[in-house]
Amino acid sequence: MSIQQPVLELKNVDIGYNDALVNNVIARVLPGEIIAVLGPSGIGKTTLIRTIAGLVEPLKGEVTLHTKKKGGLGYIPQRLGLVRHASVRHNVNLGAKAGVPFSRTMFEERKTRVEEAAKALGIEDKLKEPVRRLSGGQLRRVATARALAQRPQILLADEFLSELDHQNVEVVIKAVQTLLEDGTSIIMVEHHEENVRLFATRIWLIKDNHLHDYSLEEWMDIDESSWREQYMEEEE
Amino acid sequence: MRGGWILAVLSLLFLAWLVLNDLVDDWGRLEGGMDNLVIFVEESMWPPNWSVLEAQSYPVCENEIEIFCSVGYLGMMETIKIAFVSTMLGFIGALCLSSLAARNLVPLYVALPFRFILAATRSLPSLIWAILFVIVIGFGPLAGVLAMTFYTIGYLGKLQYEAYEGMPSDCLEVSRAMGLSHPSTVVSVVIPETGNHLLSQLMFMFEYNVRHGTVIGIVGAGGIGYYITTYLKFLQYDKVLALLIIIFFVVVVIDLLSLMIRSFVTDEGDVRRPTWLRGMIKIWKKRSASNDVE
Repeated sequence: MSIQQPVLELKNVDIGYNDALVNNVIARVLPGEIIAVLGPSGIGKTTLIRTIAGLVEPLKGEVTLHTKKKGGLGYIPQRLGLVRHASVRHNVNLGAKAGVPFSRTMFEERKTRVEEAAKALGIEDKLKEPVRRLSGGQLRRVATARALAQRPQILLADEFLSELDHQNVEVVIKAVQTLLEDGTSIIMVEHHEENVRLFATRIWLIKDNHLHDYSLEEWMDIDESSWREQYMEEEE
Repeated sequence: MRGGWILAVLSLLFLAWLVLNDLVDDWGRLEGGMDNLVIFVEESMWPPNWSVLEAQSYPVCENEIEIFCSVGYLGMMETIKIAFVSTMLGFIGALCLSSLAARNLVPLYVALPFRFILAATRSLPSLIWAILFVIVIGFGPLAGVLAMTFYTIGYLGKLQYEAYEGMPSDCLEVSRAMGLSHPSTVVSVVIPETGNHLLSQLMFMFEYNVRHGTVIGIVGAGGIGYYITTYLKFLQYDKVLALLIIIFFVVVVIDLLSLMIRSFVTDEGDVRRPTWLRGMIKIWKKRSASNDVE
């Protein structure tokens, strides 16, 4: 049996801005894993995601990405990071720009990726529309399409399923399946119990300034955990 | 809190009064000033002399429409041309430099030198640039174009990097995390996101350059300013007034154009399209729809 190389390693990392929010994080992510980051508000989930994305310097330790330098990492922040004054096509194409290496056929490949991603998310008829005219759910689909067109090795998603109705969650998850088939790992901040059960393969729970790493089975076994009652939102 | 603000504003106004009082040694000069102005306008300026819109006697006008050979038209057109070319060149130059001067796009050690360059370009008024270029390449519109271009780079560059620094950080963070290069980020994220500001600044700068075209003409850098200086020398203030009215008219037209252009790129409801423009767009859409049916 061959040992899989991790795509991300966190070695003794302290995470925070001035003071550490999460101490001594030791974790690794293998290709194809879907990790749900859980914990109460303000505990450092978003800061963890931003640290992995390279937007916040770790206070201590080392974050190592074993991915391509350009386009290896995809990111969907809470506010989605869409270019509001541009069209849907322009936004989705940004992902394709990052993901398609320089070549003679790059423009055709980008175009194909944009159209495939838009179709997968059901926004192919919105490609010409300016982003600012779309609804909240449609905006999330555009941000997901951007990641889909990029085809990153790791996708960091900060609450990208929240604010979506059940139907939209299904559309997004179905679309993201194509990424998973390519071996993309996903690290997502999530609050909904049902989405975690449906989607995640591992759980990173941030508690008492430390990151606790569970497999989904282990997480399901700790049914009595007051954490789940306190910080997860049950689907209605 | 409100009382504090009022006190602060009053204190500043009082300070301004003290400084003004220190600068002006003889308030008696104001006496009779208004009368002088009225006499000057009535006897020398009013009514404007519209002969500036008649064909010049030399060179002989070969155009059927006389106005196209007039001092007012030729001078204004040259000024508009100088302003247009220098605004475009300056805008492109400013785009290149400002993206390297914005603190949210590059590290401080890169931004600082470029900020210094832009500040240096801006601190010389266009008139001084014009004198320099007249010395280097001689009289004429090219000196005007170069002078205005350099000033535009400094001025627009500052406005642009300030617009970039005010844009939302989330889309920049996404492009940084995705590994997009600096030029890609500027072209695909920064410019579209700040497009409305950039367009507004571009139109403002064009209008500014048209107005300042009158000033640089004074030192021989072409445009309507050349004629204004000539008329001033010969004390033909009525002709000067006519040229100033023409400049005012052009500035108003540019302002309307700016409103029209920006209405296509702003958020809905932010800058409303003028009614006449909305009407024209409706008619155009109807026509193209009926053409499609045919």
